[in-house]
Amino acid sequence: MLRGLSSAVRRGRTLYAGRSLHITARICLNGIVNQDVQIAEEKPRAIFRTSESNPANHTEQHDCQHYSIPLEEVKVIFPHGLPRRFKEQIETFKEACLMVRKPAVELFGYLKSTNFAQPAIRYVLYGESGTGKTMTLCHAVHYCAKQGWLVLHIPDAHLLVKNCKQLLQSSYKTERIDQPLQASAWLKNFRTSNEHLLREIKTQQKYTWNKWDSTEEGRPLVEMVEQGITRMKTATDVVGAVLKELKRQCSLGSFKLLVAVDGVNAFWGKTTLRKRDKTLVSPEELALVHNLRKMVMNDWSGGAIVTTICQTGSVFKPRLAYLPHELLGDEGFSALEPFVPIQVPKYSEKEFESCYQYYLDRKWLQHEKARTPDGRAELLFLSGANPAQLERLAAML
Amino acid sequence: MCFNCPVEDYCQAAMFYSAIYSILRFPLETANKGPVSTQLELCFMRTPSLSSHFILCRLIQVRWKRYAPAFLEPEVNKETLHKEPTELPEEEKKQWDFKTTRPIKAAPSSVTSSVFSDPLVSFPAFCTQTLEAIKRKQLKKYHEASEEEKVNIECNPYTIFHQALSNCKPIVELTSISRGGRFYQIPTPVKDSRQRFLAMKWLITECTENKNHRTFMHVKLSQELLLAFHGEGPVIKMKHNVHKMAESNRAYAHFRWG
Repeated sequence: MLRGLSSAVRRGRTLYAGRSLHITARICLNGIVNQDVQIAEEKPRAIFRTSESNPANHTEQHDCQHYSIPLEEVKVIFPHGLPRRFKEQIETFKEACLMVRKPAVELFGYLKSTNFAQPAIRYVLYGESGTGKTMTLCHAVHYCAKQGWLVLHIPDAHLLVKNCKQLLQSSYKTERIDQPLQASAWLKNFRTSNEHLLREIKTQQKYTWNKWDSTEEGRPLVEMVEQGITRMKTATDVVGAVLKELKRQCSLGSFKLLVAVDGVNAFWGKTTLRKRDKTLVSPEELALVHNLRKMVMNDWSGGAIVTTICQTGSVFKPRLAYLPHELLGDEGFSALEPFVPIQVPKYSEKEFESCYQYYLDRKWLQHEKARTPDGRAELLFLSGANPAQLERLAAML
Repeated sequence: MCFNCPVEDYCQAAMFYSAIYSILRFPLETANKGPVSTQLELCFMRTPSLSSHFILCRLIQVRWKRYAPAFLEPEVNKETLHKEPTELPEEEKKQWDFKTTRPIKAAPSSVTSSVFSDPLVSFPAFCTQTLEAIKRKQLKKYHEASEEEKVNIECNPYTIFHQALSNCKPIVELTSISRGGRFYQIPTPVKDSRQRFLAMKWLITECTENKNHRTFMHVKLSQELLLAFHGEGPVIKMKHNVHKMAESNRAYAHFRWG
């Protein structure tokens, strides 16, 4: 076996005389050239792919490998939350493959060792634009969904503080503002991902939405959620009530709750929304943001809070800001403190190689020069090992 | 009175004397005609008392886009640049030595030494989006196809683009020539650059005119390119029409030569 491997390496070396290749790339290229060598044929798949589809079993051993999520699971677990370009990639490749990276493995280690009697710990994923914070969050959501946790996934908190068409004055508290469209859309997706758990959780008090609608005590939560979806005007109040119920009942221990918020820095800072009298709306005046802020506090137990801070899509934040204090501001930082910061860095040498091999395998890199070492070096230089940049460059080649 | 004075003194003088009412610049025909040429600048002023006028003149240097014949084209290919001059064969060594004695033109910003550079494709967002759209459509078809069909599906957006463009190029077109006081439409061969121009022009016009206002341009262009690649679509039809017109006027072809 070793003889075959060493001869494969020697043959691979002669392919590109005078240029040194990464050992894995040499073996991969030789695998494409010579199909007889059994080891070389198996190796290319082993480098960038793993057959372990349960995130609970992902360890450092699976670092830099892609695992695929079955498309039926994607429809249930991720009705919202995946980045737009990743959704297009799923459509094109007919598979949903995520790379297992160190920040995710670290996060799973923390989640596995959570003490559910203690208050929920906040984890903040931070990093430069395009490094994979949202994808790491989605990986964590997949892990918790597979473990049977109830997942409260807010796909992009920035969408709550900008470009909202309908703003209604809240009937519950007159100084607050409702966002019926955003609330009902979120409730629909929330129901899709957590239907089985919502049927089992029962309300602990009576809720009166308006003159005609109310939800009795002891009804399953899914009924309340459906009420919010059908009657859009009450959707924001329903969201508030659902969050209150979940927070109260989670501490009792019947289910585990994951609060996953993408772009949590939107909750503190400014909005671009204006009231009828043209004055600016501040985030705490929005009922949704007010209730979600309470959810992100560590005054409940029986779960975890995983958040991302994001400059892309944020309002009034400088483009190059990525550190927690820069994006959260004083108010947000002191509200989220204490939290566990997890940095999501750019691709390392190994991760870049894995991604490059994956794109070659899926025929995403079509340019004939992209297969050469010069092309690879140019891709690495132009993208700067930034995952999003690499994806966009590979798209046009 | 001609003098070259430093800019600060000039401005101070101008401010002291105030009221500049005209500045004229004239290019000079000098022997050294390159990217940097000299101009004569005349500055007309009046004294504060408005009693007299005078002219300050100086020579200034400006850049312009025409090069003298001495200037040579720049070498952008990375492979030739990495080679040592001593390794080259005799002919190329002479060329290399010759280049060290002559001035070189500035490389235009559209030319790169990237391995992915293509003279027909530039890299602003619109072009990359079109290529991406083509690739996505073809890859989707590829992954859904059976094993036998997979061989026939072309996924490389660059080959599709080049093939589509060459499919759209007309070989002959009609030109207007006057013989005996009357104007005739005669078929003439189309030069390479004009073929390229016509193919691109027809594709762009087709996309601009027959596009739904809600469709993005790069999506429409990718559709047209894919149709042209397969030899179908309105642009190919336009080309066939031109060929048919040329064929029908074949009788007048001899008018080209008097």
